[in-house]
Amino acid sequence: MKGFVRNMKPLDVLTGEQIEQIHSATLHVLRKTGVRFDSKRALQLFEKNGCMVDHDTNRVRFPEGLVEECLRRAPSRFHVRARNPNNDMVWGGNTIYFQALSGTRTVDLDTWEPRTPTRKEYYDAVTVLDGLGHVAIVPWYTPWFGFKHIPPVMAMPEGLAARLRNTSKFTCAGYSMGCEVFNIQMAQAVGAELRTMMAASPPLTFYEETIDAAFRIVEAGFVLLPTSGCVYGGTAPATIAGSLVSGNAEIIAGLVFAQLVRPGTRVIAQDFSFPQNMRTGAPAFGSIEISLHQAAFNQIWHSYGIPTDGGVCYPNSKKIDYQAGYEKAIIAAIGALSGTNTLWIQGAMYGELAFHPVQAVIDDDIAGMLGRFLEGIHVNDETLAVKVIDEVGPIPGHYLNQPHTRKWWKQEQFIPSASDRLTHSEWLKQGKKDCIEIAKERCEAICNTHKVDPPLTESQEQDLERILKEAREHYRKKELLSAIEWEEYQKDLASPGYPYS
Amino acid sequence: MIKEEVMALRGFLRRFKPFELITEEQVEQIHEGTLDVLAESGVKIYNDEALKVFKKNGCTVDFDTKLVRFPPALVEECLRKCPSSFRVKARNPDHDLILGLDHVVFFNFPGRDIVDLKTWESRPPSRQEHIDLVTVLDALPTVHFINNYPYFGYRGIPENMKEMEGAAIRLAHSTKVTMEIANNDIDRFTFRMAKAISTELFANPNTSSPLTCYTDQTNACFLAAEYDLPSMIWDGATAGSTAPASIAGAVITSSAELIPYIVLLQLLKPGARVAVANLALPQNMKTGAPAFGDICVSLHLAAFNQVWRKYGIPTVASSSGVSNSKVIGFQLAYEKTIPSLIAAISGASAVQIHSSVYGEITSHPVQAILDDDIAAMIGRFVEGLEVSEDSLAVDLINKVGPIPGHFLGQAHTRRWWNREQYVTESADRLTYPEWKNAGKKNDIDYAKERMEQILSTHTVQPPLTQSEEEEIEKILHEAREYFRNEGFISSSEWQEYMKTLQEEGRAQE
Repeated sequence: MKGFVRNMKPLDVLTGEQIEQIHSATLHVLRKTGVRFDSKRALQLFEKNGCMVDHDTNRVRFPEGLVEECLRRAPSRFHVRARNPNNDMVWGGNTIYFQALSGTRTVDLDTWEPRTPTRKEYYDAVTVLDGLGHVAIVPWYTPWFGFKHIPPVMAMPEGLAARLRNTSKFTCAGYSMGCEVFNIQMAQAVGAELRTMMAASPPLTFYEETIDAAFRIVEAGFVLLPTSGCVYGGTAPATIAGSLVSGNAEIIAGLVFAQLVRPGTRVIAQDFSFPQNMRTGAPAFGSIEISLHQAAFNQIWHSYGIPTDGGVCYPNSKKIDYQAGYEKAIIAAIGALSGTNTLWIQGAMYGELAFHPVQAVIDDDIAGMLGRFLEGIHVNDETLAVKVIDEVGPIPGHYLNQPHTRKWWKQEQFIPSASDRLTHSEWLKQGKKDCIEIAKERCEAICNTHKVDPPLTESQEQDLERILKEAREHYRKKELLSAIEWEEYQKDLASPGYPYS
Repeated sequence: MIKEEVMALRGFLRRFKPFELITEEQVEQIHEGTLDVLAESGVKIYNDEALKVFKKNGCTVDFDTKLVRFPPALVEECLRKCPSSFRVKARNPDHDLILGLDHVVFFNFPGRDIVDLKTWESRPPSRQEHIDLVTVLDALPTVHFINNYPYFGYRGIPENMKEMEGAAIRLAHSTKVTMEIANNDIDRFTFRMAKAISTELFANPNTSSPLTCYTDQTNACFLAAEYDLPSMIWDGATAGSTAPASIAGAVITSSAELIPYIVLLQLLKPGARVAVANLALPQNMKTGAPAFGDICVSLHLAAFNQVWRKYGIPTVASSSGVSNSKVIGFQLAYEKTIPSLIAAISGASAVQIHSSVYGEITSHPVQAILDDDIAAMIGRFVEGLEVSEDSLAVDLINKVGPIPGHFLGQAHTRRWWNREQYVTESADRLTYPEWKNAGKKNDIDYAKERMEQILSTHTVQPPLTQSEEEEIEKILHEAREYFRNEGFISSSEWQEYMKTLQEEGRAQE
C-alpha cells in the first residue's frame, strides 16, 4: 500500500523546552500517582520489573528508568502485514496512511436520521472502502459497530469476518467479552495481522477486560495501539497541556506493559481525546482544541521515536454539510502537517455515532489532497522555469501551449474524484450536482464493479465460518445471547445471501 | 516594529514558528530566479510616468516596448525599505488594522452576485442586499477589514460606477478599513471620499500576468504616494496559462509581477506601507477556468509566504477564499478551509475567507457568518497552547488520581475551559436527541438566525455626519459626470442609472 511521504519538516506547535516540560510532568505523574491496573497478572509483571505496586488499590508506580527504557525498546518504524502483500505498510518516519473512521449506525441521506445498517449495507460499505484509493486501513468497528439481527456480543467477530472477506487491506479488531480470542484466530486463518487498541479508562486506569485483551494481542505478536480517550475538562484537566500529561501517562503505561510482555512489540500511540462540551456533557467533536492537542501530541511522540496515530476527524455536524467539511478538514490538515503516521477520516459523520460510504468517498478526496500537499514541491532548474518565463515574456505571451505546461500540470495538480470541478454554466446544464450527488454515483459504481483482490480461498472461508460458529456457541453457552437474540440471529444466518446479504 | 502594540489590537497572534514547505536554500533559488526574470526578461509597464521614474533610478527602460529591466541591487534595496509591519487607520480607531510579523487577520472575498440559498443560482443583488452584506461584515468580529466590492455593485448601476457606489456604501455602513481598486482610475474619486471622512484605505494595484502592469493600476501607486496610503498589491496568475504550470515557477512569476509596484512605491515614497496578495490559481485543464479549491493553491500559498517572509513584507492569502463548489456544503468547506489554515500557519498576515461561495461569482452574508467560525478557529489554533505550571496541572492530576477521580468539579476546570475552548457561534454543537428536538437545524439555519439578529440590531459606530454624507454624494456626482463625459457610461446605462437613483431617493439634480 502506497502511503504518502511528507517531504518537509512537520509543523511544530511546541518548542523543544515545552516538550521537555510536558515529558517531565508525565514522568512525575507516572512515578508519584501511577496508574491503576485491574489485573493480578499485570500487577505481578510490573512488580517483577521494578515498579512499585500497591495490590490493594491496584496502583502501579513507574520508575523513570523503566519508562525511558521501554520507550527506547519500542520500534520507531515497522512493517505491518495485510491479507494482500500489496497492501502491507511501513508505519513510522515521514509516512502517512489514511484510515476509515467508523460510526455506530448509518444515516438516511434525506432525513439525516441514524438507523442500524443491514448485513448487505455492511458488506457493501466494506467493498467501497476496499475500492477507495486512499483508504489504507479498514479499522475495528468499521464501517459500523454492527448490523441488523446480530446480537451485540457477536458484532465484533461478524464485523471482522466482513472485513476479511470484502477487503484485503490491513484491518483491526477491538475487544469485548473476550472476542479477541476469535478475532486473532480469524486473522491468523487468512494470514493477516491485526492491530488492537489498549484503551485506558481515564483518568489513569486500565480495566481487566482491556488488559486481558492486550495480553492476548501482544502474545499473538500483533500490533498494539495504546490509547487515551480522555475528555479534557471531564476525565483530564481542562488545559491542553495538562490533558497531554495525563493522556500520555496512560499511553506510556500501556506501552511499558507491551514492552514487558514482549520486548520489541510494535506499538503506535493514539490520541483519541476531545474537549468536553460544557453545555451538553458530550465530547466537543470538531473543536479546534482537538487540533492543538493532536499537533502537540504528534510532536511529543515523534520526540520519543514512536509512530503516532494522531488525527481523528469526527465532526459534530449531523449532516454532510459545510460544518462537517471544515471540522474534518481542519483536523485532517493539522494531523497531516504535524506528522501523524496514520489519520482517521473516511466515512465518519457525527461523533462516533454515524458512518456513511458516501461520506467516505468524499473524504477520500481530502485524503488525496493532503497527501499531495505533503509531497511538497520540486525546486530545480526545470520547475523554476526561468528559461520558459523569459521565452514567454509579458502579455500577449502565455503558457498554455508550452511543452513545460503539458508535462508539469498533471504532476502538480491532484484531481479529486467526487468534487464539483465544473464552471457555473456547465454545472447548471448537468443538473446542479454537488459533491454528495457525485459521491453517490461513485459509491454505486464501486459497489457494482469492484472485486476484492484476492478473495478468500475456500479453505479460508471454511476456517472463518468454523471460528464464527465456535464464537456463537461460546457466547450462547455463557448465556450472553438471549433466546430472542438467538432466534433473530438464526434467521439472519439462514438467509440465502449469507454472508453477503 | 510594533510587535507589542499588536497584542492590544484585533486579530490573532501566531505563537509558533511558521510552517515551512521548502528549505532555505530553495527559498534562495526562487529569489534568484525572480531577480533573474526581472533583470533579463523584464516587465512591461504601460505608464510613461512610471517608466521615467524607473529610468531615473537605474532600470533599463525601452519606452517603445514599455519593457523595464530591473537591476537586482535596486530590487533588493526597495524590498528592504518596506516596513515589516504597519498600522492602517480606520474611521473608528477600534478598527485600526495591523498587518505583519506574527499578527494574523481575516477579511472577506468578494463575489459578483448574491447566491440563492435554495436554488444555488446567482443573481445581482439589490442595493439593500449590498448594504446588508456590508453591515454583516462590519458586525463580524473576525472580519478585520473589508475588501473592495463586496458584491460587484447592485442592480441598475452602470458597470463603471459599480465599485464607486460600493465604496460609498462601505464607507457609510462600516468603520473598518477597506480598499479600492484602480480600474479606470476610479480611485481618483474613492480616495477623496476616504479623505473626506478621515479614514485610510488600501490602494489596490493589480498585476496582469504574465509580467505586465497596466496604466490605471500603475497610477494607483502614484495616488497612494500622493495620499500617503498603504498599498495591497494583487497578483492573480493562473499556473498553466498565465504562469508556468510548476508551482516553483509560478511563485517566481507572481513575485516578479509584484515587485515592480513595490520598487515604484518605494522610489516614490521610501518606507511606503505595502502588502502583497496572492490569488494564484492553477488552470483547470478540462474547463479552461481557474481550478478553484485545488490543493496546489495551498502549496503555492505556503511557498509564497515563506519567500516573502524572508523579504519581511506582509503577505495576504487571497486564493484561500475561492472554491469551485456552487453550494454551501461540504466541498466548499474543505476547499476554503485547507488553504486558509495552511496560509495562517505558514506565515500569512491576512487571510481572505468570508462570504464567498463559487469562485468570484457568488457571495452571501450567511456564508460570511459561517466563515466567522472558521476564522476564529484558525485564529485560536495559531495562538497555540500555553505550557506553564498551571496549565500542566501536575498537582491536580496527582490529586484527582485514577477512577473514580474526575475533573468536572475542579476549580482549575472552571478557570481554564473557556480560555482553552473556542465555542462556535453558528455550528451545530448538540447531541443527536437535542438536535432532533430542536428541529434538526444545521449551520446554515443558525447562520441565518445570526444574520437576522445582526441586521436588526447592528449599527455602524460612529455613523457618518451629515456633512460627510454630503461630501461623499458630491464626489459620486462628480464621478458620474466625469465617467459619462469620458464615455465610460453608455446612454442606456445612464438612463437606467438615473431611474435607479430616483427610486432610491438619491436623484441627481
